[in-house]
Amino acid sequence: MAQPATHSLPCSAGIGLRAPHYREVLDGLSKIGWVEVHSENFFGGGAPLRTLLKVREHYPVSLHGVGMGLASTTPIDQMHLSALHRLCDAVQPAAVSEHLCWNSAAGLVINDLLPFPYTQEALSHVATRIEQVQEILGRQLLVENLASYLAFPHSEMTEGEFLSELVSRTGCGILFDVENLYVNVRNLDADAEAFIKAIPAGAVEEFHLAGYSERGGCLVDTHDSPVHPEVWELYEYALQHIGPRPTLIEWDSDIPALPVLMGEAANAQNRLEKYHARAA
Amino acid sequence: MPVLHDDLSDFADSIVLGLGLSSKVQPFCPKYPVETALDVYRNNYFGNLHDALAYAYPVIEQLVGKDFFRCLTKQYIARHPSASGNLHHYGAEMADFIAGFEPAQGVVYLPDIAVLEWACHRAYFADDGPTLDVGRLLKIHPENYVGLVLHVHPSSHLVRSSYPITAIWNGHQPGANCDFHINLDSGPTNALVSRTNNAIIVSELGEADATWLQIIRSGVSLGEATATVLECHPEFDLLAALVNLVARGILIDFTLENTQ
Repeated sequence: MAQPATHSLPCSAGIGLRAPHYREVLDGLSKIGWVEVHSENFFGGGAPLRTLLKVREHYPVSLHGVGMGLASTTPIDQMHLSALHRLCDAVQPAAVSEHLCWNSAAGLVINDLLPFPYTQEALSHVATRIEQVQEILGRQLLVENLASYLAFPHSEMTEGEFLSELVSRTGCGILFDVENLYVNVRNLDADAEAFIKAIPAGAVEEFHLAGYSERGGCLVDTHDSPVHPEVWELYEYALQHIGPRPTLIEWDSDIPALPVLMGEAANAQNRLEKYHARAA
Repeated sequence: MPVLHDDLSDFADSIVLGLGLSSKVQPFCPKYPVETALDVYRNNYFGNLHDALAYAYPVIEQLVGKDFFRCLTKQYIARHPSASGNLHHYGAEMADFIAGFEPAQGVVYLPDIAVLEWACHRAYFADDGPTLDVGRLLKIHPENYVGLVLHVHPSSHLVRSSYPITAIWNGHQPGANCDFHINLDSGPTNALVSRTNNAIIVSELGEADATWLQIIRSGVSLGEATATVLECHPEFDLLAALVNLVARGILIDFTLENTQ
């Protein structure tokens, strides 16, 4: 079982830091609780790593991977894992996360976050791989629930039950993406209340919030717009049942000016403070 | 019974090859046709790889235009599926692909620009290396210099071309002066990619220096490399080459032959 991260994220609102905002954030004009970056953009040295190390001097950093493919049926890419390990050593992040998805099977790699059936077989498989990752990194991994556009009828449990089992088998934490859950509610009739009841509140280390778009009646996890009102509502519900946690605003496409992102973070911060006050 | 592998393989084929799902895998979408969901995944697949190529090959995209580039990437993606979960690894075969891409045959220097852009892309994500320890070098007795094996920085690359690719590349960087003239018959170019103060620099290297660096990169000792170059380029100035390549952070370390 992995030990929880010793330097955890502050229980405040953070932003997903992307290239257009590096300069502005480093100039120190921004009052940001913490930042999260995509791990793969900082594999190697040079300018990316130097930039991240400078950011790290001012803000707690969370490393969020998009390429590990925890449920893939091809072996874990050891080069990828060792690059992540080196990055963790250099940056000493406050959190490290990956998605509950696959990206590689039968010799094909699909650079996306893909759903899979929640079966006992998949559970053992994913748990073994999370243990491998935690063993190499020497720390706890947070696993994020997925936005899905289709479901598999032969799933033997819900995503919430699957995550809960992963926590008890591996000691991993949960990154609860509220927008992903909302997308699944709308696309696949997922039961949001049941999801929140199924996951152990104590294992939730972080929330994600983002905007979605719609194609042909299907909500797509595009991170290209403000957080929708229904997602804020579900976030408030999650805060009530799980409690306040570090909360990230993700915006990856059509990235707005930094003040817009900060405004979204302030909206999350206000809600966090409301629940902090209630808990006090 | 390991069915997960079969499910994912079938799903993968459907996304990458556009095939329908086999009867064994019947995903479920209560609100819209399954094909709508598969199309979202297919669009993501193409879009993510297209964007990775546009990120690695910005000069190629400028040279051929966005529409042509999209057509090029569509065919490249169909021919070369991704092989890594890290999108920054995608696109290594672009130069060879362009060389065989009929509609691009008119732009003779395009494959060499692709080689140069891939070198820059790799340089950007390369590991860090040390700075040459001159103090350690000074402790080597001069009579042993010939046996020095020099190591180059992991970000440095040399791209040799019959076309003025350095000028073309530099002319298409953000903020570059657009008012430049390229003479395609100006003779061969040796484009040297280096990472100086963490910025990717493409500069030109003379023929003798480039030949020497290429031999050094293959692990040949300083003495042997220099002797080989002097046979064809008696004007080769070893000291000037060393000063230039050390100053630019390209030569970073050394070992002594036979004592490694």
